[in-house]
Amino acid sequence: MSQVIRTTATRHRRTHEPVADPDDRVSIAPSYVLDRIFRFFISMKLGLALLLVLALLTLAGTLIAQVPSGMKSDPQAYAAWLDGVRPKYRGWTGTLDRLQLFSVFTSIWFRAAMALLITSLLACSIHRAPRLWQKAARPRMRMPDAFFERAPLGAQISSSSTPDSALAGLTQAFRSHHFRVTAEEHEGVTYVCADRFRWGPFGRVVAHLSFVVILVGGLIGSTWGFRDNELAVPVGSRVTVGHGTGLSVEATSFSDSYYMNGAPSDFASDLVVYKGDKAVRTQTVRVNHPLRYDGISFYQSFFGPAAAMRVSTPTGARVFDGGVPLPWGSDDGKHRIGRFVLPEQGLTVFLVGPASGEVDRTIQAGQIQLEVYKTGQDAPVATQVASQGKPARIAGLDFTFVRERQFTGLIVARDPGSWLVWLGATLLVAGMFVVFFFPHRRVRASIKPAPGGSETAVAATWRNDARFEADFDDIVDDVQLAIDRASTT
Amino acid sequence: MGADPMLELSEYFFFAGLIATILALVGYVLALASVRVARTQPALAGPQPSAGTVTVVRGEPGGLASFGTLTTWLALAFLTGTLVLRAVATGHGPFSNMYEFSIAFAWGSLAVYLYFERRYRLWVLGVVVLPVAVALLLYATTLPTAADPLVPALQNSLLLTVHVAVAIVAYGAFAVAFAAAILFLIQSRFAARRLPNAQLLDDISYRATLVGFPFLTLVIVLGALWAEVAWGRYWSWDPKETASLVTWLICGAYLHARVVRGWRGERAALLLMAVFVATLFTFFGNLFFGGLHSYA
Repeated sequence: MSQVIRTTATRHRRTHEPVADPDDRVSIAPSYVLDRIFRFFISMKLGLALLLVLALLTLAGTLIAQVPSGMKSDPQAYAAWLDGVRPKYRGWTGTLDRLQLFSVFTSIWFRAAMALLITSLLACSIHRAPRLWQKAARPRMRMPDAFFERAPLGAQISSSSTPDSALAGLTQAFRSHHFRVTAEEHEGVTYVCADRFRWGPFGRVVAHLSFVVILVGGLIGSTWGFRDNELAVPVGSRVTVGHGTGLSVEATSFSDSYYMNGAPSDFASDLVVYKGDKAVRTQTVRVNHPLRYDGISFYQSFFGPAAAMRVSTPTGARVFDGGVPLPWGSDDGKHRIGRFVLPEQGLTVFLVGPASGEVDRTIQAGQIQLEVYKTGQDAPVATQVASQGKPARIAGLDFTFVRERQFTGLIVARDPGSWLVWLGATLLVAGMFVVFFFPHRRVRASIKPAPGGSETAVAATWRNDARFEADFDDIVDDVQLAIDRASTT
Repeated sequence: MGADPMLELSEYFFFAGLIATILALVGYVLALASVRVARTQPALAGPQPSAGTVTVVRGEPGGLASFGTLTTWLALAFLTGTLVLRAVATGHGPFSNMYEFSIAFAWGSLAVYLYFERRYRLWVLGVVVLPVAVALLLYATTLPTAADPLVPALQNSLLLTVHVAVAIVAYGAFAVAFAAAILFLIQSRFAARRLPNAQLLDDISYRATLVGFPFLTLVIVLGALWAEVAWGRYWSWDPKETASLVTWLICGAYLHARVVRGWRGERAALLLMAVFVATLFTFFGNLFFGGLHSYA
């Protein structure tokens, strides 16, 4: 009959440091300076500090108004934006601006913290991966007696069975718990290492590196991709996409529909994408249903009024014939404004129409105001209100407001880094689930011959795997039973 | 929208759920108060039971605690009814406005709490989790209950349902982690005899976070996926997006803090409380900072 003496599991972690498994110990690179640098980057404290700094900066970016992207590169627009937020932040406006807190996510602080975090992540992965590999593939077998005595989870089993049959029983018990068992004999003592989910810790490396993959994907997208947030396409017109795509997009129709309560129910544009002059894709684009062609995506984003315009010379030659979107609202909200250019004539034409629902005496429904500028000049050549269908002669050209139309506003984007972002995101989630739900579990045992039988010590360290404790008890129960059985047969 | 009988029934279920949650809370508070009398009760005696295993702390809860747990189950059932009826009536996951989302958040807190209660018999967590649920439900009573049809951006049944359902689990897990962290701090500062030992509370908060963190990651990833389809980019520093990133970063910091000397225990527990505050900030954020998540 065997006798079980369980060592009590002391669980006061604040006072009692768990014994480290020798495989977990840090070994040090040769060069002192490099070693210091490396140690700095692999330190968990640095990672913790960086995460907290990033959390604080991100919080600041949530609480403090952020300048719209792209506006900061235009000093005039930025100054106007700053004036807009000045009433809110008063005397702090200048300080917040100098600290780059109106553009936290492109600030030097955020970038520096990110760069340090990436360096730290890479250093940690380089440091840990080989150790994890060794731990999984070739664990250290011989453990000192002190380990068995002091490990946080432990049990001693004295039995009348021989060491060999104790080993057989123990192996069988561990296998029934899906543990892999390896054993090695040294100076009469059999050392056993039993483990399960030994590849689980690699999930940690995968999750950490995937964070880098996501950021690299984001960087690639913002460097080599393009994004046009305001491509307004008047219905019935074709607009070039540019950015070296050779594509143009035509809107054949647009519809906006609403529920009884006035909330929008649907925005739908029928689009035709052309490569050169060949129609390559026809699709109805809605919010949540973008059109994708050759890595380029077209998203429904906004809409508004447009004016179909025709410009011809007095002899009847067409200079311009197409829709002009009126995407901007005037400051008082009463007018919609659009613009088109006649490059050969060196003219820029602004169109001002009444905003929907607004009554204006100078520009009535069915009318549009034309402001014609010589390109580059501040004062208009002429300003004239034109009625629908009636040509207005300005600068020797006939301008005809053919009819009102709508335009559909698209976002057009190409993001060559997005596949990396999705790969990274998948790896991040997968790695995390593996780490948290399949933690590496390892139990060590030593079997020594004793007068009248054998002495088996079972011990395990556990970190961040609280569920393991109960399982350990179950395993020890089964080991004891199996050794028992081995001794009676 | 009293016209739809399903929505009307769902309102009755909601109020039944609210009342049940309040009753459960009362039961738990009384149970906790009565522990002082039953000092010998093995479940809760002393800050440091001899062998601090989970099984030792698992004592028979008194009648009041049983009442609390039973009523919490009832509350969960009522709220499930509320959400299911609304989903059936509207034809999509009941997550499209703050009224529905608040109820769902309360539901998630109760569900995750009950899971932990069942597993570890730690009803004392209910003393902190239930007030959170009650507050969310009371907040829901102040909100318009109309089941408005979905605006175009939300017309993505699959992602709407999955993105928010996963968020509810994550938020619920953080509520439980927060509860355990508060009790841990009380326990480690005041050695309260009525509470379970600090070690167990620390473990529970860690375990709840192990559920919350991967789920929050999934919420953010699914959100990015949806944003790419609906808004034309996977990340636009939208305030709600950013707030969820704050939560994620603090949660990541907590997990690292647990293995850094000097950060274990109290400081880690404080980080967990920050995680929950950030969660609430993420949840309520759209009320005061606008952005693309203007609906909920």
